[in-house]
Amino acid sequence: MDSMPGQHETQRPADFLRQILGRPAVVKVNNGAEYRGNLVCLDGYLNIVMEGTEEFVGGELKRRYGDVFLRGNNVIYVGPAPAK
Amino acid sequence: MRSAHVGASSSGDEASGQLLPLELVDVAIGSRVWVILKSAREFRGILRGFDEFVNLVLEDVTEYQFTESGTDTRQLPSMLLNGSNVCVLVPEGGASERTAA
Repeated sequence: MDSMPGQHETQRPADFLRQILGRPAVVKVNNGAEYRGNLVCLDGYLNIVMEGTEEFVGGELKRRYGDVFLRGNNVIYVGPAPAK
Repeated sequence: MRSAHVGASSSGDEASGQLLPLELVDVAIGSRVWVILKSAREFRGILRGFDEFVNLVLEDVTEYQFTESGTDTRQLPSMLLNGSNVCVLVPEGGASERTAA
C-alpha cells in the first residue's frame, strides 16, 4: 500500500520523533493546554523536554517557561509547529 | 510483507486467512483515517505509520474538539498521536483523497 504513486514512504512513530527533534514543536496535553517550544529531547513514553516554551489555554497565551518536562501519559499529540 | 512487524504472532492466523486487527490498520496506511479518542476529540488525516501501541503518525490533519458551545477545528501539517488515547480508527476512502471537513 505504501508503494502507490505519489505516496511518501511509511513513517513509523519512532522515525517521526527523530525527525522533529530539535525543532519548534507543538504538544497538546489531556487538559486541553498546548505547549509550543523547541523540542530538546523525548523518549518512547512521549516524555518531552522543551525549551522556550509557551503555554496556551483556550488559544490564549497563559505563561512562558524556560525549560519544561512534560510527562508522556498526558500527551495527546506532538507535531512540528505549523508555519506561521 | 509489513505485517511481519505488526503481529509477531500472525503466522498462524495468516495461514487461516484471518486478518489481525493491526493488519487492518496497516492496510489503511497512505489513506485518510478518522480517529476518535476516549475524550471528546477526533482527528482526520492521512495515516503515515503506526506502531504496536497504535501510536499514529498522521499528515494533513484536522483536529475536532467538541465542546458545549460547538466544535473547534484546527489544521496541523503532521503529528504523532499518542495511542493511549485512541478509541476508534475508521479508514476513509483511498490514498490522499480529501474529505470535505
